[in-house]
Amino acid sequence: MAEIDATGRTSREINAAIRQLIADSCKEITVRNPGARHNLAVAILNDTHIRLAGSAGYYCGGLIDGAAIEIEGSAGWGVAESMLSGTVRVRGSAGSGAAAAIRDGTVVIHGDAAARLGVSMKGGQVIVAGDCGYMAGFMAQKGTLIVCGNAGEAFADSMYATVCYVGGTIANLGTDAVIAAMDPGEADHLEETLSAHLPASLRSTKPAAADFKKVVAGRKLWNFDKREWRIWREAL
Amino acid sequence: MPGLQTSGIFAPRIIEEIQAKAESGLYSIRGFGTLRERRWATFDDLTFLPCTLTRIPLEGYRENCSTRTVLGTRFAKKPIQLDIPVMITGMSWGALSYNAKVALAKGAAAAGSSNTTGDGGMLQAERENSRTLIYEVLPSRYGINIHHMRMADAIELTIGQGAKPGTGGLLLGSKVSDRIAEQRDLPIGVDQRSPARHPDFLGPDDMIIKVEELREATDWQVPIFIKLGASRVYDDVKLAAKAGADVIVVDGMEGGTGASPAIFQEHTGIPTLAAVSEARCALEDIGLYGEVQLIIAGGIRDGVDAAKAMALGADACYIGTASLIALNCNKPIYEDDYRAIGAAPHACHHCHTGRCPVGITTQDPELMKRLEVEQGAERVRNLLHVMTLEIQMLARACGKSDVHHLEPEDMAALTLEASAICGIPLVGTRKVFGR
Repeated sequence: MAEIDATGRTSREINAAIRQLIADSCKEITVRNPGARHNLAVAILNDTHIRLAGSAGYYCGGLIDGAAIEIEGSAGWGVAESMLSGTVRVRGSAGSGAAAAIRDGTVVIHGDAAARLGVSMKGGQVIVAGDCGYMAGFMAQKGTLIVCGNAGEAFADSMYATVCYVGGTIANLGTDAVIAAMDPGEADHLEETLSAHLPASLRSTKPAAADFKKVVAGRKLWNFDKREWRIWREAL
Repeated sequence: MPGLQTSGIFAPRIIEEIQAKAESGLYSIRGFGTLRERRWATFDDLTFLPCTLTRIPLEGYRENCSTRTVLGTRFAKKPIQLDIPVMITGMSWGALSYNAKVALAKGAAAAGSSNTTGDGGMLQAERENSRTLIYEVLPSRYGINIHHMRMADAIELTIGQGAKPGTGGLLLGSKVSDRIAEQRDLPIGVDQRSPARHPDFLGPDDMIIKVEELREATDWQVPIFIKLGASRVYDDVKLAAKAGADVIVVDGMEGGTGASPAIFQEHTGIPTLAAVSEARCALEDIGLYGEVQLIIAGGIRDGVDAAKAMALGADACYIGTASLIALNCNKPIYEDDYRAIGAAPHACHHCHTGRCPVGITTQDPELMKRLEVEQGAERVRNLLHVMTLEIQMLARACGKSDVHHLEPEDMAALTLEASAICGIPLVGTRKVFGR
C-alpha cells in the first residue's frame, strides 16, 4: 500500500501522483489530508483501491471504470458522476448530484445525500443510509436507488425505468412517480443488497426491507405524444 | 371567393395551428429549425469590399491563401489542427442514422476537418472514420463513456443549442430503436426528453470545476470547448472564458435540431449575426480575443456566410443542416414517402417522425439504406471543399493570404440594423449607426 500526502499539493499534482503509483502497479493507495480538494481520483480506469483519509470536494471518483474509492469524510457535488463501473463509498455525507448519470457500479453513502441524488442515473445502484434532498432520482433511467431514511420533495420525478426504495417518509412524489407494490422475493433481494453494502451498525437503525416503499415511474410521460405514437407503433 | 380578405393576424396558417391544438391537446413538435421568413439582420445584410486601389488583391485561383485552422491554443497540450475552417457540428446517433453519422465522419476526414458526436455518445465507426473527433458532454450524458472521451481530439461541454436554448432536445419513440435504447440506457420506444440542466453543476462557478474535471480526465491533453445556445451571448461568453474554455462555440437561433417544441425554434435565442458580434465584443472586453478561439454556428449555408462570420471574428464555423442537405435532405426523390409523412421535398422538417425519406434522420433499416455511406461522404467532402474555396476566393479578393485575416473592415453593411449590430459602416455613408 502506498500513501500520498496531499498537503500543499494541487488536485492535478495529487492525481498525477495517483496515476504514477497505478502505473507502478500499486493496487492500494491512501491519500492523506485531501482537504476537500475538487476532482480527486477522477477517471481511474482499473481496480485500484483509493482511500481518501478526509473529505473530498466536487466530482471525486467521477468518470471511473472499475476503481474502488473510499472517502472517509464527506464528499462535495457530483461524487462518482458518470462512472462506468466500480464502487464509491462515502463514510460521511454527500453534496448535490451524488451518483449523477452513473451507468453502472455501486455508490454507498453512510450519511445523508443532498439534492438531485442519482439524477439521470443510467444503471448501477445507489444506497444512502441517511436521508436525501429534493429531486432525488430526477430523470433516472435505469438502476436502483435506495434511501434508508427520508426522501425530500419531488422524489423520483420524470423517471424512466429506475426502481427506488425509501425506508422513511417521502416529502412528496415528483411528476409521474408512483408507489408500487413489491414483487414476491423483492424485499429479500433488497435486504440482501443492504446487508451486502451497509455496515451492521447502520442497518440496525433502519426499517425492515419489507417496510420500504417502492417507487417507480407511472409511465404517463414515457410517450407524451400519443397521437404520433400510434403512428410510430405501426411504423416500427 | 374573389374579394374576400384573410386576416393578417389570424392568417390561415395560424387558424390551422389553433384548431390543431384545440383538437389534439398537443403542442407542435418538429425538427429542422426555424421556418420563419428572416426579417432580422443576417449575413445577407453584409457585403464584402474587395480590393481596388487602396488594397491589392491576391490572384483568385493561384496565390496561396491558407485555410489551416488551429483551435485550442490556450491551455491544451494538443490543440486540434484542421486543414479548413468549416467543421461538422454535433448531431446525435439517434437523431441521425448510423449511415449518416459515418458518412459525416468520412466526409469531414476527407476534407481535413472535424466532426462531433452529439447527444447520444460515440459510435465506434464514427471514431474509426474521423480524422478529428470532438466528443460532446451534454446535460443528458447519454452514452457517456470515459474511454470514448479519452479517444477524442477535443471535448465539447454543451450548455445549450441555438435552436432551443434553455431546453433539452427530444428523441421521439419511433427513433428509440433497440440499438439506440441500449446506447442511451433507455426503454425501447420511449419518447426521450433530454434535460435542460447538467446533472452535476448549475452555474458558472461550478462549471469552472467541471472544466477542470474534464481536463483531469483527459490528462490536460485536448482542448475543452464550451458550447452556448445564443441567448445572453455577451455575458455568457465572458463566463465561459472565465471557466477556462479553450474554445467557445456560439450557436445562433437559425441552428437546427432533430426535434423540439416548434415554439423554441421560432421564438427563442438571438440570430447568428448578432451572436458573433456579441461574442467578439465580449472576448475583446476581457482581453482574450485571439487567445480563446471562437466557433460560430447556426444556419451557415455556404462559404459566404462562413467568410462573413470569420470576418466578424470567428475562427471557424460549424455546419449541421447544410451537411445534411449535402446528404440529400429535402431532395426531390422518394416523393411518395415525403407525402406519406405530410411533407414535400424542400418543405420537409419531419426529422422528429423518424420516417426520413432519404435515410438521414431515421433508425428504420430500410430507409437508412437509401443513404449510401461512400456516396454521402463524397458529397459532404465536396460541400466542405467548395465552402472552403468560396471563403478563399473572398479572402483573396480582399487581399488576404490567410482566411483568418478577414476582418470587419473587409465588409460594409447593407442595412442600418446590420451596421448597428456589427459595428461596421453602412454602404454609402461611411458611418457606423447606433454607435
